[in-house]
Amino acid sequence: MKANWKFFFLAALVILVVFPFAYLLLLSMASEWRFPELWPAYFGMRNWEQVVSSETGLISSFLVSTGISFSVATMSTFIGFFISRGIAYHPYKRTITLLTYFPYILAPVVFAACLSYFFLKLGLFGKPVGVFVAQFMVAFPYALIFFSSFWGEKTKSYEELVATLGGNQLQAFRKVLLPIAKNMLIICFFQTFLISWFEYGLTSIIGVGKVQTLTIKVFLFIKESNFYYGALSCCLLILPPVLLLYINKRYVFNKLI
Amino acid sequence: MTISEPLSLKNKASNIGFIFFGLIGILPFVAAFVYALLYSFGLVGAANSGFTTEFWISTWQSGAFIKSLVYSTVVAGTSIFISVSIALWLTLKFRKELEHPILAFAMYLPLAIPGIVAAFFTFQLLAKAGFFSRIAYAFGWITEARQFPDLVNDPYAIGIIATFISIVTPFLLLLFLNVYKNERVDELAQLSQSLGANKQQTVWRVSLPVVLNKTWTLIGLYFIFLLGAYEVPLILGQESPQMLSVLIIREIKQYDLSRLSEGYVVAVIYTVIVTTAAVLLFSRKNDVKHEG
Repeated sequence: MKANWKFFFLAALVILVVFPFAYLLLLSMASEWRFPELWPAYFGMRNWEQVVSSETGLISSFLVSTGISFSVATMSTFIGFFISRGIAYHPYKRTITLLTYFPYILAPVVFAACLSYFFLKLGLFGKPVGVFVAQFMVAFPYALIFFSSFWGEKTKSYEELVATLGGNQLQAFRKVLLPIAKNMLIICFFQTFLISWFEYGLTSIIGVGKVQTLTIKVFLFIKESNFYYGALSCCLLILPPVLLLYINKRYVFNKLI
Repeated sequence: MTISEPLSLKNKASNIGFIFFGLIGILPFVAAFVYALLYSFGLVGAANSGFTTEFWISTWQSGAFIKSLVYSTVVAGTSIFISVSIALWLTLKFRKELEHPILAFAMYLPLAIPGIVAAFFTFQLLAKAGFFSRIAYAFGWITEARQFPDLVNDPYAIGIIATFISIVTPFLLLLFLNVYKNERVDELAQLSQSLGANKQQTVWRVSLPVVLNKTWTLIGLYFIFLLGAYEVPLILGQESPQMLSVLIIREIKQYDLSRLSEGYVVAVIYTVIVTTAAVLLFSRKNDVKHEG
């Protein structure tokens, strides 16, 4: 009896977890689904076909999101990796790490609102490059925090060993440090990719509606009460993280900070 | 000479790194804070003419900020409390079953859902013409959509709290399961039972303290994240009171230039609160770890 309730409870839990994905997919394929109908009047691929063929702009939003997120993830992972080394070996490591948390812990939307004056002056307002810079300011501290646990006595002794054997700093990075950090680099890349991919508030402020990433599109469709396209955008937004999960769970979940 | 050259190069690279860190990691935060502070005192801004404390006084007198702070704290606190309780219960009750490959994968799936999608989904389920309302109609519990209770954009923030719980609980569950395994809580529990403790005592005096002691910093961090959440309360919240981020953006983005400064007052106070919380959280416990 005890085993039975556990089985049913866990089955219900799995259904609960899968339900949002199924519902959003259903809604993205629905049309004319009015209250109080439990099933839509139309169910098919019409919305999805229109996305490919029409001017909804979802494909371009998908490409813009991919481009920005890919750039943010690449830059913050690599720059974060190299700069985190300097911080980890610094005598004031604790204070600097604490400072790193500040931009990360602040609501990105508030951070962006207070920074918008400077973006305006620098001519970065409403441009993809502006959104990239703003998102980088949030993803970069994350990368620094992420890599802080990589550097320590072990990596220091590897570097010293390379120096003793006549190798220079570049060789230490190329032949030793980067290979042993490979897994962390991959995880950090995907984590920062997702930080950028999921970002809405900061993008809406700095992009001022001109840089239409997928999250911006979802919100626009909600405002227009176009729930079918809203659900479709949600499906596109969820797709990359689900793929990452399928490939490796660690890419999506890291014990965070 | 051959030794000092690489050393100077190394120092140069390290200095460039620190300059970059300062430019990207520190300067924007300081610049944003200083600009908001100056704006709040009327020292910058098109509609401002010089130093004044009237925006701070009017913000205090209007009460909107205090209401918003209390509202945000209660919403974030309730969500965290319920999420921690559910995640702890699931960890203690089902940790062995959750190792099954299907369940292990299912636990990770909610992490693929961003806040804006979670809010949209909650709206689709709980709105007056939403999925649950349709089910209620099908069962004959309501005859019109307006008879369905207010579960989104409602005064008790039910929709917001439900969404926060759905976002945070999976993270906490995975975290607790990891800590449970890494800290060998099972072995500690067995030891306590062999020393005469009963099941209740083992849970309350051994398992829970070990797990919570290892995770309280992250729980605190999630609370701060929820305090500043934007998308979810923007879609599911009501007009007044609003959560902090929504209130700040509403004030800063409005067309009435004379009220912009009040938005920056709230932004300054919010930044001070969050920064102080970060200092308190991390100045003692700075040994952050990662799942490598």
